[in-house]
Amino acid sequence: MKFKTLILASAVSMLTTTAWAECAFDNNTSVKSLSAGFEAWKAVTDAMGECGNFSASLDQEFREKQPEAFAANPSLYQIGGVANATMIPLLNAGTIRPLDDLVAKFGQDLTPNQLIKVNGEIMAIAMMVNAQHLMYRQDILDDLGLAVPTTYAEVLEAAEKIQAAGVVDYPLGGTFKTGWNLGEEFVNMYLGEGGTFVGEGNMPTINNAAGVKSLETLKAMTAYMDPEYLVSDSTYVQQQFQQGKIAIANLWASRAAAMDDAAESQVVGKVKMASAPIGSAAPATSLWWDGIVFAANMTDQEAEAAFKVAMEGLDSEMVAANNDAAVWLVPGYKAGPLAQGAAASAENGALPYPASGPMGIMHTVLGNGLADYLTGAKDATTTLADIEAAYVTAAKEAGLVQ
Amino acid sequence: MNFKTFAAFVGPSIFMMLLFIAFPLISVFSQSFYLTQPIYEIIEVETCTPGFITQTCVTEEQSIPKLDEHGDIIKVTKFVGLQSYRNVLELERAWDAITSGSWRAFQSIDFWKALRFTLTFTLITLPLNIGLGLAIALVINNASKAVRGPVIFISLLPFIITPVIGALSINWLFRGDGVLTAAMEWYTGRDIAMFAQAWTIELLMMVYRVWHVAPFAAIVLYAGLQTVNQDSLESALIDGATRWQRLRYVVIPHLMPLIVFISMIHLMDAYRVFEEIVGFSSQGHVISLQWLTYDFLVPDQAGNRSISRASASAMLTMIGIIVLLIAPLRRTWRDHKGGH
Amino acid sequence: MSSRALRQPLSLKLTSATFLTIWCVIAAFPIFWIAVMSFKTPVDAFDANALNVIFGPATLAKGNGLSVLAILLGLAVLWGTFKVASKTMPNMVRSYSKPGLQWLGWLVGCAAVAIGFLLVFFAILPMVLSVLNPVLGPLGQDVLGLTTEHYKTVWIDRGFSNNFQNSLLVTAGVVSVSLTVGTLAGYGLARSGSNLAFWILIIALVFRALPHSVLVAGYLPVFISSAEWLSPILGDNAPTLYGKPWAVIAVLVAINQPFTIWMLRSFFQNIPADLDEAARVDGCSHFQAFRRVIMPVMWPGVITTGLFSFLLGYNDFLVTSLLLDAQNQTMVPAIAGMFNRETTTTDQVVAVAAAVSITAPLFLLVMVFQRQIVSGLTAGAVKG
Repeated sequence: MKFKTLILASAVSMLTTTAWAECAFDNNTSVKSLSAGFEAWKAVTDAMGECGNFSASLDQEFREKQPEAFAANPSLYQIGGVANATMIPLLNAGTIRPLDDLVAKFGQDLTPNQLIKVNGEIMAIAMMVNAQHLMYRQDILDDLGLAVPTTYAEVLEAAEKIQAAGVVDYPLGGTFKTGWNLGEEFVNMYLGEGGTFVGEGNMPTINNAAGVKSLETLKAMTAYMDPEYLVSDSTYVQQQFQQGKIAIANLWASRAAAMDDAAESQVVGKVKMASAPIGSAAPATSLWWDGIVFAANMTDQEAEAAFKVAMEGLDSEMVAANNDAAVWLVPGYKAGPLAQGAAASAENGALPYPASGPMGIMHTVLGNGLADYLTGAKDATTTLADIEAAYVTAAKEAGLVQ
Repeated sequence: MNFKTFAAFVGPSIFMMLLFIAFPLISVFSQSFYLTQPIYEIIEVETCTPGFITQTCVTEEQSIPKLDEHGDIIKVTKFVGLQSYRNVLELERAWDAITSGSWRAFQSIDFWKALRFTLTFTLITLPLNIGLGLAIALVINNASKAVRGPVIFISLLPFIITPVIGALSINWLFRGDGVLTAAMEWYTGRDIAMFAQAWTIELLMMVYRVWHVAPFAAIVLYAGLQTVNQDSLESALIDGATRWQRLRYVVIPHLMPLIVFISMIHLMDAYRVFEEIVGFSSQGHVISLQWLTYDFLVPDQAGNRSISRASASAMLTMIGIIVLLIAPLRRTWRDHKGGH
Repeated sequence: MSSRALRQPLSLKLTSATFLTIWCVIAAFPIFWIAVMSFKTPVDAFDANALNVIFGPATLAKGNGLSVLAILLGLAVLWGTFKVASKTMPNMVRSYSKPGLQWLGWLVGCAAVAIGFLLVFFAILPMVLSVLNPVLGPLGQDVLGLTTEHYKTVWIDRGFSNNFQNSLLVTAGVVSVSLTVGTLAGYGLARSGSNLAFWILIIALVFRALPHSVLVAGYLPVFISSAEWLSPILGDNAPTLYGKPWAVIAVLVAINQPFTIWMLRSFFQNIPADLDEAARVDGCSHFQAFRRVIMPVMWPGVITTGLFSFLLGYNDFLVTSLLLDAQNQTMVPAIAGMFNRETTTTDQVVAVAAAVSITAPLFLLVMVFQRQIVSGLTAGAVKG
């Protein structure tokens, strides 16, 4: 144990000595953060670490730990990384503090777009947006004389021609992995069709024409996809793109940079971004944001230190160093060609993800229930009815439905 | 040994098991009969979220849990009897499906789907595990002394490897155009997708499980083979028993206690099958009972979790294991009675 | 018994040898393969063509490769290590260490072999090769693409050595506590013929059958808020159990107890009860008898059981990932995290390298202890 603390201590002291130069102030209060672990969080927490006395937990179980850890008094972490959906439990439990005073004092560099407000109070600071949008192989579309598809009908048409030409293994890719990913695909489609998920008294409202249409589009796409689509997550689809196995996919904006990474991609410069295909109401995608929240159960002194450290992590220096890691909301971000898809989707009127307590349950039951339709075990209306039934059971247990 | 000494010897172990297993178990048991919920009120909330360039603000009615004066969520707990069990078992739906004779409809109910797979998985891998383990043990025992060491070493590898890593490596070998799938495609001349349909995934999961646990069976049985009574083998030989008969009537009966032990461990572990489901991401096609429990238990992104159904499902899983273990346990009971 | 009568026909021998060979290939292949993948650039590692993965043309093109000579020498070193670890080292430990201090001998022996191997393989071998390769012409030319950059990323940039230390701490704790508590209980259960002992065993078995995810999810809120509910008892020093390695050790020991006491009990049952009864006639108490008579003869069983505890502690994912935070995370959740975060293909190969790194100590462990495992099992550590 002694030995370990010694090593840790020396590591920490090394960190702090290098930190002096880059951080605007010298942080003396211990600050800890808990967030997801993807690339953007690594960039942000590394930048926060420059101020010293800071330790970051990039934890894949953060969703499970965060509500409990923030409910403890004093909170185990001062800074939390959340997205639109994962902020809900913290907000509901009142374990994150309003930030108006701190923003007024130290947040002069923040843009109004970054301030997440609930009933007029600033509850979180957003750092990036993310959405799924169209990525396609420009060279293949050009060779076959195809225009960039703007609707799913056109996507399917293009897929048919690419299939006939036989230039790639599978014309389409999709993040259809059972669970959260597949649920998200349906959410995108259904938002594009103008549907709403829950209505009066938190009762489900997905078993309708828009729901059936969304399911049918999803199934039509699977005919052109890798037959192992039910296990394909974003990383896998990204890899298929890099290996030149697929031509078109609706993939996350945060994955765009990987297409041009010469170390692992065989299609550098060939993949272009465009708006998510447009459904009858809106682009078939949903806008997500990621950002930071601050625990309610900490002293004002800690809150101040944590906020200053966080601002250091969200400064333009960090963005300059990691410009392509995400679609940043932080000032200094240069929207390059890789951000085109997200920008175009937003321009076409992409909707924010409708995060709420009931929606959390809905997303889960969708993710679990849709596979039965895609494998052919159930028809569309039975699938949707079963999903609604599963939703009602879970929502009753959670107390959301009487 | 008097009770006091016995208690002193066994005490620490019992204490740890009580604290970390029995105590949670009791709370799981009681939670399966109760429902704990926050009290929600419907409030109009204005939320402003960032867009790509400008913010969008929406005002809508949301269900927000009530907080008490300390700022904690007010929760009420009520007794619901067997309601959670009913929600897990979905007996009416199951009965409808059975009376209409539709296996497919029956198998679309989560619990029964999971039970079907869990049982198939357990009961198919059990004989395979013991059979392969015994075969490896016999063959190692048959090998010359010089190669035994390295062979035992290699045989133990699948057993010691970290399960998460093992499942992932199988994933890489078979997923998409993984090298083994590519090799099979080359050999058969057909396009093969191992993760595209339920039966191939099930097959992979079983193969992986047998690969992972057979070395344990093999090493235990190999150790057992070292103590086979040479006299009885010899007398069997004099009686003119064939090689097969000697195996069947002398060696296997000698190994029987070990086989029961291995079976017991295997039944317990295979019935809790979980790593394979996650490792092979098979949820779309097959699920297991422990996965179902886990799925109820993990909070969704908005923090809701189905603790009551998870508890009920865990209790049902446990009952299943106990039923499976009755046969081997009766043997242990007889040995215990016979031994003293 | 006459060996002639037991002599096997050629066909049986052949079948037996073929079966053994096939099994060894099946057993070793996945591990061998991830080891190969970990040394290639991402493009090669995930290539569909097996030959490309093995020879690594893209890796070679980047100027990272091995010559025939290097491969031969490398294999020789590996073989040498295997020999030393499985034969020479155990023998030396047995002859040089004092009885009772054997565990220290093993510790020193294992460390010596590990350090020696690292030194020879990563320091001396490259030096020798850099001299020999240019001299030997075609034999010295690079034929096999191979890069160790992913290992550098894992161990140096990602701070995996910290996870490694945490794993060692947790595993060492689990093994020692588990065995201490378990041997006592196992001995007590073996020497008591009462029905109570039997029922304790059965209940322990039922405990072992419990789905772990249910237990572990129950610990999390209790562990996180422990500073609050412990403060009435312990005052202001009440610890937060979440993120404390010793709390995880306690949980893992408890989860592992059922299996440990079952194994040790059957092992103790095979030690004749006359042995300690004789000691008791001589006026020893049960504890004295245990310490003086049983402890010296119990090591084979304890080593075998200890190995299983080691595997449990070292390989655990569920408990460690949920109850430890990033600062004291062990290796398995760290690797799972590498895979599950939004990864690039490079990240994946880095994670493969981490996966191979975590397997290496297990290799060494089995190499050293395989004889003890077999002899422990033979002596009855497992018996119905």
